[in-house]
Amino acid sequence: MTNRRENAILAAPLVLFLLAILGFPTVLALVYGVSDTSFQTLTSPEFSGLANFRQVLADPTFWQAAWFSLRFGAITAVLQCALGLALAVYLAPLVRLHGWTVAILIIPMIVAPAMMGLMYRLVLHEFAGPLPHYLYQWLGWSPAFLSPAHVFKTVVVAETLQWTPFAFLLFLTAYQSIPEDLREAAAVDGTRPWRRFWTIELPLMLPTVWVALFIRFIDGFRVFDNIYTLVGAGPGGSTTSMSIYIYETFLRRGEIGKAMAAAILLFVTAFLALALAQRLTRKAAR
Amino acid sequence: MADLRLEHLSKRIGGHSVTHDVSLSVPDGAFCVFVGPSGCGKSTLLRLIAGLEEASAGRILVGGRDVTQVPAWDRDLAMVFQSYALYPHMTVRDNIAFALRSARRPEPEVAAKVAEAARILQLDSLLDRKPAQLSGGQRQRVAIGRAIVKQPKLFLFDEPLSNLDAELRVHMRLELARLHRQLGTTIVYVTHDQVEAMTLATQIVVLRDGRVEQVGSPLQLYDAPDNLFVAGFIGSPKMNLLAATRQGDRLVLPGCGGQSVPLPPLAALPAEGVPLHLGLRPQAISATGAQSLDLVIEVVEHLGSETLVHARAPGSAELVTALVTGGRTLSPGQPFTAGFGTAALYLFDPTGQRLR
Repeated sequence: MTNRRENAILAAPLVLFLLAILGFPTVLALVYGVSDTSFQTLTSPEFSGLANFRQVLADPTFWQAAWFSLRFGAITAVLQCALGLALAVYLAPLVRLHGWTVAILIIPMIVAPAMMGLMYRLVLHEFAGPLPHYLYQWLGWSPAFLSPAHVFKTVVVAETLQWTPFAFLLFLTAYQSIPEDLREAAAVDGTRPWRRFWTIELPLMLPTVWVALFIRFIDGFRVFDNIYTLVGAGPGGSTTSMSIYIYETFLRRGEIGKAMAAAILLFVTAFLALALAQRLTRKAAR
Repeated sequence: MADLRLEHLSKRIGGHSVTHDVSLSVPDGAFCVFVGPSGCGKSTLLRLIAGLEEASAGRILVGGRDVTQVPAWDRDLAMVFQSYALYPHMTVRDNIAFALRSARRPEPEVAAKVAEAARILQLDSLLDRKPAQLSGGQRQRVAIGRAIVKQPKLFLFDEPLSNLDAELRVHMRLELARLHRQLGTTIVYVTHDQVEAMTLATQIVVLRDGRVEQVGSPLQLYDAPDNLFVAGFIGSPKMNLLAATRQGDRLVLPGCGGQSVPLPPLAALPAEGVPLHLGLRPQAISATGAQSLDLVIEVVEHLGSETLVHARAPGSAELVTALVTGGRTLSPGQPFTAGFGTAALYLFDPTGQRLR
């Protein structure tokens, strides 16, 4: 009994802090989510039931944004993990000899995503960007990186280039923590390096693979800053992610209730995904 | 099954010589034990044979085939690691089957061989467990099972018993000896424990500082050590090594109060006054004997049927250990007459080489 009381006392400051920091905005979001509110009526929201949610779910732009986020999150997560894994395994011997090389490899991660977006906007600009310029000069041809036809690929590549180092770092740690004698045992058992990777190393890194895929998916799903600074909502809303949809609904169109309803839906989806992923990783670990 | 030959094998790491010009021939079916203190290069030598280290010079021949440049996975050997190195994500069954599946053997053959190995090692009831659910001794058996299913040319064991408790170690030692008789495969086995070496080996290789000190059967090494190091390393309790100098036909022992013993039979006499080492096994000492040293008992260790007596001449530096049968009435402070025959004496020159 005293144990439970002690736990409660010890946990209380953290709970209070979280309530103050997260609870208040959450309550506010819930209140606005079920109210008819605009910037003029911020202080006197009018209860409107689930009208906002109905409106959001009926909005084709919302579904477009959801589909974009889902595709973007899934594709970038898989690309980053595949590349990160390959790099980690390939570079592990180099990193073991020269630890400082890791610092260079993770530089993209340190750059603010908004800066990254602006940088690509300059580099890829159809008329002023150096990349199209040189492509025209050398090949006489350049794809319109930011056109509706190519913009999705462009943002996927930009996101992948920036966040692959994160996956790389996780996989490098996992790879290095595999005991050397397991590899040696497999080698003496007659296993070539390629098969050794598939039968010993990858299975032992699998929990890390799940974690990395999940983190990168969530991060990609709620992408905002680099896409917004690169192309905004995109031609024809083609790069409107969930976060951009919420932002635009809130600030551009002033539909606060609708934006909050969308935010709540995003939160619930992310939470369900997290719960599912946790169950899956726990099952995989067993 | 194959014999093993090492020819002038050397391994240098960063200018430092770990094994130095090792030449050795292990006959087919032998149980060869590399023994020596830690850092003597015995594990490196084993890893060179396994292909886990690259030789700096020399050749390794397994069954007449030069494997010096062959990668580990093509050498057709099996190795048991000190840490067992079981694959933690696989069941015992999959661990044992791993080498066969790597060699793409048909699945019915794999199943049959795994069952056979499990029967030999009494692992039948554990096949569906993961390594984490096994005790140390069981993991050890799985590691051996993983090695024997392959029917390799050579078995390599790297200090396989050092992580087990004393009782289990004795048990596994017997199991290994039985396994070797049953399979007849050549075994190369590394240990720092000379008791393991004596009990298991048909051939012992004593190593020190990356060099071979002596090769021979356990009893050859015990009866006829080539040098001071082997004499001190092989045999338990350790051989007594006393400072000695020749005076005429006698050896004077300054560490035993200046008492003297007659010279053992030698082909050539050492120069007078040169500092020599006299070796005498504790087992060779008894109450009776043609020769004797007068000592006083300092410590008595009763082992039951035998007694370990540690004694020294009054006021002298060197302690003499004797293993005597009976000896129940001995106690510290009593005078002790250490009797022995001259044939039991070993004499070593100042560089540690045996004088014969």
